[in-house]
Amino acid sequence: MSDRLLKALTRRRGRLLLLAVVLCLPPFYLDAFWLRIGLFSMAAAIGAVGLALLSGTAGQLSLGHAFFLAVGAYGYAWFAGEPGPGLPPALAALLAVLLAGAAGGLFSPVAARVKGIYLGIATLALVFLGHHVLLTADSVTGGFNGRSVPPLTLGGFAFAESDSELTVLGVPFGAEERLWFLGLALFAFTWFTARGLLRSRPGRALAALRDSETAAAVMGVDVARHRSAAFVVSSMYAGLAGVLLALVFRRVVPDYFSLVLSVDYLAMIVIGGLGSVAGATAGAVFVTALPLLMTRYADQLPLVAAPGSAEGAVGPTEAARYLYGAAIVLVLLYAPDGLHGLARRAGDRVRRRRSRTPADPTDVPSPPQPTAAARPKEHTP
Amino acid sequence: MNDRTTTAPPVLEVRDVTVRFAGLTALDGVSFTVTPGSVHALIGPNGAGKSTCFNVLSGLCRPAEGTVTLGGTELSRLAPHRIAALGVARTFQNIVTTHGTVADNLMLGRHALTRAGFAASALRLPSARREQREHLDRAREIAELTGLGRHFDSPVALLSYGDRKRVELARALCLEPRVLLLDEPVAGMNASERARTAQVVGELRAELGLSVVLVEHDMGLVMRLADDVTVLDFGRRIAHGTPDEVRQDPEVLRAYLGTDATGEDAA
Repeated sequence: MSDRLLKALTRRRGRLLLLAVVLCLPPFYLDAFWLRIGLFSMAAAIGAVGLALLSGTAGQLSLGHAFFLAVGAYGYAWFAGEPGPGLPPALAALLAVLLAGAAGGLFSPVAARVKGIYLGIATLALVFLGHHVLLTADSVTGGFNGRSVPPLTLGGFAFAESDSELTVLGVPFGAEERLWFLGLALFAFTWFTARGLLRSRPGRALAALRDSETAAAVMGVDVARHRSAAFVVSSMYAGLAGVLLALVFRRVVPDYFSLVLSVDYLAMIVIGGLGSVAGATAGAVFVTALPLLMTRYADQLPLVAAPGSAEGAVGPTEAARYLYGAAIVLVLLYAPDGLHGLARRAGDRVRRRRSRTPADPTDVPSPPQPTAAARPKEHTP
Repeated sequence: MNDRTTTAPPVLEVRDVTVRFAGLTALDGVSFTVTPGSVHALIGPNGAGKSTCFNVLSGLCRPAEGTVTLGGTELSRLAPHRIAALGVARTFQNIVTTHGTVADNLMLGRHALTRAGFAASALRLPSARREQREHLDRAREIAELTGLGRHFDSPVALLSYGDRKRVELARALCLEPRVLLLDEPVAGMNASERARTAQVVGELRAELGLSVVLVEHDMGLVMRLADDVTVLDFGRRIAHGTPDEVRQDPEVLRAYLGTDATGEDAA
């Protein structure tokens, strides 16, 4: 038994190591365009994991995610830059994440009391308020033109183009190559913490809140406290995503942090599968990479006009929106548990087929997985 | 891990509790006392106020008048999660489990007994992991005790009705309760499932010495398990006593058991 456990554990370790190695390879083989897609995807994945925790696990809809991304991005630019205190960038990044958490905390009197879809409406206000402040508070945010983002430096190493040429294994390391590893580290940290949360006491309490508030309360879960904590944690992940986005963009502008961005994040977690970290990541990559790829290959795609061509034609960005709109409809109709659920079912099928071929009498068939997200009914006292 | 099980449960006292829902009086000056370590049955026809009474006891519903005290603590002003922390656990009439495996549900029952917060869990601190491991062991024990051992890692949604009902019981037990409120624990079960649950409840009471408040339509089960019976009808207490006394009570026969008084009720 323990032998088997050990083997399973080493196999898991091995797989993780392999994954880490594969994820470290792109800077050595791919050009800046692909690296930027990867970086945007990583930032989106971090934010999407945060939203998945709030909407997927705790069942609290939020349309204010763009606001917290903006707090993170602008917070970093202000803390580290000029005008602003000009703090060391690493400290500024940390403070920006905490600031996003604090902003979430300020909203928690609402987030603790309002539930489900109603919280979605309440958070709408945040996006409009945030957008307005970004446009008008010129001295801090730079107004309509935004402000430039100082590069992150850690112990003398700059995650940006710098004077000291850096060449690793014959590959010159520019801003994208360096940021790639920062993004990977932040992304790994997000996975580690979010999965830790989901698989332990707070995660179970949040899932219970979603499935039945009454059951959660009588089992000892402080409903209001957990609702606001979920909101704060989700805001902090959004803040972290904002910091990474700011570093990749090198400039933050108010128009990026609009309601559309919040909706994009919702699309990510729905396509990926609500409430799972892997699903949120897959959805984030899909929603982020699709428009960028379509823009790049617009001339080779049928029915898609090149960017900036005649009016009335469907540009690549619009086409990407149609595509992921269709993806959402398809997911909701045929795979309510998203890409994550699809992958899990496919994995189960492969495993079952494999275990069927060598007739092993000791092999106990695993219980069948539910085909769709079956959820017990809500109790109303 | 927990010293609550070693001490005798305190007295649960319900005094003159009145609950009104917009003109309808669901409970009208109801009083009863659950003596420590006893099984106290609450019976009555549908709509008599049994479930409302449970909602008052677990803090989901606030009484307009009257008090509920456990030992020296007044429960009627506390939030549900505080009442749970005092060791009052309940099950629901219609099954209320959460998404996930049996283990997930039982570990939810350990919520009030565990401490790991958001930061400790996110960073997977050793203290949080140790706590989780220890409590998972206890949850497994409780699953074995209630006959759910082999389903421990199965998703709840795939279990049979009777098993899901038992998950609720096991989850309540995971709270290491001093007072256990069971709302129709055997409703919809077949004969062997009923017998098994009755046996578990009997064992629990003998081993853990906890007080049980039971709402049940299965008269056979009530008469076999209960020490005291309180009969409600239209929110009022119409009789009280030992099962035998209640069985003889003409008021009960009229209001609850009907004219033929066979003691069987279609649950």
